[in-house]
Amino acid sequence: MAKISFKKLRGSQYLRLRLLLSTLSSTPILIEDIRADSMMPGLRPHEISFLRLLEKVCDGCKVEINETGTKLKYKPGIIMGGKHLSHDCGLSRSIGYFLEPLIVLALFGKKPLTISLRGITNDSKDPSVDTFKSTTLPILKHFGVNSDGLDLKIQSRAVAPGGGGEVILSVPILQGGLTAVSWIDEGLVKRIRGVTFSTRVSVQFENTMIHAARGIMNPMLADIHIFTDHKAGPLAGKSPGYGISLVAETTSGCFISADTAVCYARVEDESGVEDDEKKYLIPAEEVGEQIAGDLFAEIEQGGVVDSTHQGLLFLLCALCPQDVSKVRVGKLSPYGIETLRHIRDFLDVKFVIKPDPDTETVILKCVGCGLKNLSRKVS
Amino acid sequence: LAEMNASRQNINLMQLVYGNSTTVSVAAINGSIDEESDDEKFFKPKGEGTKKSKEGLDDDLNAEDCSKFKILSQNDWKDEEVKEKIRDRFVKMGWSKAARAGQVPE
Repeated sequence: MAKISFKKLRGSQYLRLRLLLSTLSSTPILIEDIRADSMMPGLRPHEISFLRLLEKVCDGCKVEINETGTKLKYKPGIIMGGKHLSHDCGLSRSIGYFLEPLIVLALFGKKPLTISLRGITNDSKDPSVDTFKSTTLPILKHFGVNSDGLDLKIQSRAVAPGGGGEVILSVPILQGGLTAVSWIDEGLVKRIRGVTFSTRVSVQFENTMIHAARGIMNPMLADIHIFTDHKAGPLAGKSPGYGISLVAETTSGCFISADTAVCYARVEDESGVEDDEKKYLIPAEEVGEQIAGDLFAEIEQGGVVDSTHQGLLFLLCALCPQDVSKVRVGKLSPYGIETLRHIRDFLDVKFVIKPDPDTETVILKCVGCGLKNLSRKVS
Repeated sequence: LAEMNASRQNINLMQLVYGNSTTVSVAAINGSIDEESDDEKFFKPKGEGTKKSKEGLDDDLNAEDCSKFKILSQNDWKDEEVKEKIRDRFVKMGWSKAARAGQVPE
């Protein structure tokens, strides 16, 4: 067997992105110095869990980790997809962490993917499952992903530290590839939708959040609906918590989201500072006001997606057929910038980035790498 | 002049994201194996990008892998004047358009 040349990378940063791009571009990677200087060196449970997830979804991929977990060798396989899969996402990161890369990966699979993911459905670090449903999936539709097979079902909810939630994700495969977009019109916000949830606490928390958020938003817009989703019993996971996800829909079909969740901190959180802060829960009223403000800040910034979804947007543009895509975003987010760099490294796609001084937004143009759904053709 | 300014900004943004053009071309040629150039890519943007990426997230090798980014907005959204700034981003409220024209909503 020929010696495989690995692409060398360092550090645990952007691990999901690297593994995703490695798989899509069939580039084996070798990552060294993963938290080598940390108190707890090596890969974290959620990172291991993500690797296991990759193994489930792909065929023939090879993962080698050294004893301390500071070195990872990954040789991608063929993305298989498949039905009735299930994966335990663990409790160190929420399901959103896994969904973000998984959804792109699954598009290029051999068979449509249906997978049940168990773990934490809502937290403040990753996009919640509600945001995923309301914002991320519509973004995919802009790129010509068939909306029939695309769905996320929230079976039960859970927050940290206990977990115990479950969602079912179904993603169709791409028949012809993505469609390049020219997506620079943000439009005007025509309605705001939202979902609040509460697990193992009174539904009153939700009402308070809605009331507070509406207090900020109502003067701007009449068409606001925020639904409640109160879970109790076995559907509510093991820990108390509440949260809210808002999405602003514009006249040109853009979705701008903001979400958060409040719950008790995880025990194994290493950053003691954060622990202290989270000893008490932020009152529901504050959460509502804060999230409405966050949403307004995203709207003010402009762009066809919010800052959380910039990475996904760039990635989809780069994976398009060899055709020009043009998108507008607000200020580039750090994750977005890093995604652009990784896209250049793995897919050899470079964006032309032009600021638009009038609106203080940024316009990005690229020619897609023309990635075909290779897995599908193999059969 | 405005055009020149715009084109300069354009280059700056490209540089901010991709680093110097020379580094990029070198990296593109032997980037897959050469660890040194990888290092360069990681650290290059720091000097150039201190203005915009002052969060410094992209400089930490083991930064948290998190796409969510909170805009640090100092705006107090309860303040009506602040809200006025983004009013043109919203569809006008149909049922109260006439009533609200020219007056500050409650």
